[in-house]
Amino acid sequence: MTENKRFPELRRKLTPGWWTSNGHYTQYMIREWTSLFVAVFSLVYIYGLSLWVTGSRSAFLDLLKNPGMIAFSFVALIFTLYHATTWFYLLGQVVPVKIGKTTSKPWQALVVNVVLLLVISYLAIWLLVLR
Amino acid sequence: MKEEPPRVARLHAILWGIFSIGGMVAAFFLPVLIYLTGIAYPFRLWPFDGSKDAGSLVTGHLLGTLFVFVTIAGSLFHGIYRFFQSVLTEVGLLRFKRGLASLGYLIIIIGILVLGYYLLVLNPGILKF
Repeated sequence: MTENKRFPELRRKLTPGWWTSNGHYTQYMIREWTSLFVAVFSLVYIYGLSLWVTGSRSAFLDLLKNPGMIAFSFVALIFTLYHATTWFYLLGQVVPVKIGKTTSKPWQALVVNVVLLLVISYLAIWLLVLR
Repeated sequence: MKEEPPRVARLHAILWGIFSIGGMVAAFFLPVLIYLTGIAYPFRLWPFDGSKDAGSLVTGHLLGTLFVFVTIAGSLFHGIYRFFQSVLTEVGLLRFKRGLASLGYLIIIIGILVLGYYLLVLNPGILKF
């Protein structure tokens, strides 16, 4: 008898709602679902550009002023910020920085990257709108 | 003799690399783009004071066009890749993994090509560089 047959792999059948059984799984799935908002905002933005190219600039701007679009933007911003913070924390876990004898902690990577996010956001606003 | 990694593994590694870059782009650049276009512009919040509109990000400056392209293309790759290959397969669609991956890549490729085309049409000056 081979090793595999003596100890057969026991596969637990996962139901579509498996991630609700544990807090960590739920947190993981919420993190993964943020990708939907990232993707949908990108697709809607491309759709807005199509209105501009095939129609006029005001058609693009009217889409941005649409109440449904504004509501979606609020939700998308919250989920995108959640994506950003979990991504920064994950970076700290996957690629910790070693300085001398100490190794950086994930929360330190989170703090440094959030500061970087604020600096980049301000620079983008200054370069693209204020200048 | 040094063994080369299989071609599939190399392609997979490249796609993972692009996915990670897309994740960084979505984390660092997408929040400010959503704020500017989806919230600040419609409500006339800072930095919009009426002299510029959200369209000026696209056509006002070459850097703005580049910013929009990198942010939307990177976020689209990351978002679609993660949603089609992680979320959908983990809520009971694992048996359609290959089909979902193919559909995801199709959306990514078409989306990025269309985005590039629109930005070129709106900024014909780019081609003169």
